[in-house]
Amino acid sequence: MFNIERAGEESRKLSYNNKNCVSCGICAEVCPTSSLRLGPIVPIARGLIEMDPISVNEDSCVFCGLCSVACPFDALSLSIDGVSVKEMENYPVWDTECDVNDDDCIYCGRCYTVCPQDSIIFERNLPNPADLVRGEISIDDEKCIYCSFCADLCPAGAIIIKNNPASSVDKLGNSIEVDLDKCIFCGVCKRVCPEDAIRQVCATCMYSDEIETPEVTGEVFIDDTSCVSCSWCSETCPEDAITITKPFEGTLDLVEEDEKVCKGDSCHACQDVCPCNAVTIVDGKSVTNLTYCNLCGACVTACPQNIRVVSRTSMKLGNINSESWNEILNGLIGK
Amino acid sequence: MPVKIDENLCGHIDNCPVQGLCIKLCEQGAIIEEDGDVKIVPENCDDCDLCIQNCPNQAISKA
Repeated sequence: MFNIERAGEESRKLSYNNKNCVSCGICAEVCPTSSLRLGPIVPIARGLIEMDPISVNEDSCVFCGLCSVACPFDALSLSIDGVSVKEMENYPVWDTECDVNDDDCIYCGRCYTVCPQDSIIFERNLPNPADLVRGEISIDDEKCIYCSFCADLCPAGAIIIKNNPASSVDKLGNSIEVDLDKCIFCGVCKRVCPEDAIRQVCATCMYSDEIETPEVTGEVFIDDTSCVSCSWCSETCPEDAITITKPFEGTLDLVEEDEKVCKGDSCHACQDVCPCNAVTIVDGKSVTNLTYCNLCGACVTACPQNIRVVSRTSMKLGNINSESWNEILNGLIGK
Repeated sequence: MPVKIDENLCGHIDNCPVQGLCIKLCEQGAIIEEDGDVKIVPENCDDCDLCIQNCPNQAISKA
């Protein structure tokens, strides 16, 4: 994290949020004054060094904001007199999207499980199981001998036996109860009871017309500041309810030659720095699944063999009005 | 080809900014700590070059 400021006719402030930084180094690549530096990203990713991936030279930074608009991951932000340039109409803007369509979402939670950045905020409400069944159950505690066959076998965990050893000799310390929020009137308890102490009737089928259709409601949204556009969520969603637009299109290749070969199992630097969980080591070699790759290029920097090549063919950064900025920003693609 | 360490550049664990980063990075056991110093075990080296790339003192190179 850093916040650097320059006061003058207008007050300019550059803020860096390391939580959103994926160590791609795009900011350092575009900085016209070479004021940003990418640190040792592999040791950082492995937790061997505690420092920010990016550091800034406050003395040479001219607060132009190029880094802030180029960062596809919202890790850097330049504000002028308190307003972020990302909200100013004459500054470049990323036309990326991460959105869940509430109408299509069934709240299965798969997106939440696969997100490598924990960027999905997910909550769901299941109906009360008791509302989905009908029946009756009662236990005669005069007959009950507290053997707990029923409680141990109950598939719903609905039978609660409390036992007080001090007075259990006369049964007074024992109690048995059925939790009606859990009981599904299956009758296992009745059948196993050696003392015939349980009465149970299931009427779920009889009342099936009356019983409401279970409805799952919930809330899900993607935190767009920490989302890295990997698209694990949209690929995993069974309802096609999620739209992810990646910042770049293109490819990422492993180009081995002579002595420069991937040492996948020994090294796996690419896998460690990848923010997208897109890299796996298969048969000793790094394999990148482009479906999940956001072409950030962190793995390219991390690779000690220098054999990873990212080729971006287009990007979703638009509204670039300055010719010099256009030249620098377009340097991110076409290589 | 395994790696070698330049004795003059190496921080020798105590003076290394990360107290032996190369040892911590190498999962092959090709760089180990011995008598408080860094030692190369050439037969374990897989030539991944991770140590070369990340040594803060640029003390490691190809042998």
